[in-house]
Amino acid sequence: MHDRKAVRRRRAALAVFVALSVAVLTAYFGESDGGFFHRLQRGAQEGFAPIETGATTALKPVRDLVDWANDTFDAKGENKALKEEVERLRSELAQAQTARRDGRQLRGLVRLHRREGFPQGTEPVTARVIARSSTSWFSGLKVDKGSGDGIKVNQPVIASGGLAGKITRVTGGTAEVTLITDGSSAVSAQVMPAGAAGVVKPEVGNPRDMLLDFVEGGRRVTEGTTVVTSGFKSSKVESLYPRGIPIGRVTKVDLDEVELFQRVHIRPFADLERIDYVQVLTRKPPGVQTAGVITP
Amino acid sequence: MIVAPGAFLRVGALLLLAVLLQLSALSQIGIAGGHADVVVLVVAAVAYYAGSIAGCATGFAAGFLLDLATGATMGASSLVLTAIGYGVGGLRELRDPSHGLLPIPVGAAATAAWVVGFAAVSFMLDVGARVSPLVIREMIVTVLLNVLLALPVFTGCRKLLRPVLTRDPLEVRRRREAPRESGPLGLRGLEV
Repeated sequence: MHDRKAVRRRRAALAVFVALSVAVLTAYFGESDGGFFHRLQRGAQEGFAPIETGATTALKPVRDLVDWANDTFDAKGENKALKEEVERLRSELAQAQTARRDGRQLRGLVRLHRREGFPQGTEPVTARVIARSSTSWFSGLKVDKGSGDGIKVNQPVIASGGLAGKITRVTGGTAEVTLITDGSSAVSAQVMPAGAAGVVKPEVGNPRDMLLDFVEGGRRVTEGTTVVTSGFKSSKVESLYPRGIPIGRVTKVDLDEVELFQRVHIRPFADLERIDYVQVLTRKPPGVQTAGVITP
Repeated sequence: MIVAPGAFLRVGALLLLAVLLQLSALSQIGIAGGHADVVVLVVAAVAYYAGSIAGCATGFAAGFLLDLATGATMGASSLVLTAIGYGVGGLRELRDPSHGLLPIPVGAAATAAWVVGFAAVSFMLDVGARVSPLVIREMIVTVLLNVLLALPVFTGCRKLLRPVLTRDPLEVRRRREAPRESGPLGLRGLEV
């Protein structure tokens, strides 16, 4: 009997509090923003605000400690994700940089053709460098175009900026280029606009410095002037390089009173250490006089 | 529970402390996408030690206070916490549980009922926004974190409420399990 009474009391209490909750809920939804419960809520929040501020400040070290533990826990997973992202971005960056570099070199080749005095009608074949063999004594490249593309031995090769070398071996789909910095290379050249002629030879071990040798002492060469291929044609010898291909710029002139010839240092226009694209000039320019070239 | 001003004062202080702790600290400490909820544990603890009527009243008061402080829909929390208080109190009254570790499953069940019940009420009141499935993860995390907090919260509540309790389940158990002396033959119940 007592139990039943207690159960009834309990159920009554539940019913009362549930009814109260529903009543509050209904009243809250039914009233406007200025209603009793809304005003009570605002007042309570204003009253709670300073206490909450104080409690929040007081408990900040605890929150910081837990946050620190959380951060440490999350750091492992985050580190892995960031590493993957760095790898992906690095790959994208490398691709973008390669594309930019390729674009720069191809633009350089186009500019070279537009340059005044550059031989026209040479039917250039653009090729990508697929292998590089560069030592102090031998400088060569392999490109992805061969005899199938009209490439033959001894055809001149240009890169962004100027002369790069000549074709020395050809297969069906590839060709080997011997660079002008190769120890065996020699190119007949002229200093413009003075017209002093000589032979460009590499300085072994320093691809950024070449020598224009056999320049007559009487014709003074000045620093900063441009050196281009001279080309000539005689009854027996014909130049491999058409006249007018830029080679480099004069950086220093050694004046030796005893010597008959001047020794001119030039810096090649083409960045021969970082070539990605070259053009093989597959035809001699029609009706252009060629000058001699000293080939090994 | 003895119905006296002291009891109201203690429960009121407990609820105020719980709501403040919840809003100032626990709600701001995110762990694995969720956070602990001490208010429901306090309601469950009061109901566990003081019975279903006190549980109902505490649940209603806690919900009211929580809605007032957070600016949520008034009455929604009260409705769910009232039911939880009643349920936990009923368990204590009908089953008379007294195991020392019982607060853990009781706390877990109360928290689960709270997160599910509050979600149901929110749905019924039309939340008006798309609900992410991540809310389920948050619920599970809250239950797990409350499992960890259940024992200390229940112990603290018991210590605070003990002077106003008519019957302490743990005391009852202690009395029931008092060791008896054995008889001359070394067998219990043969004290001749």
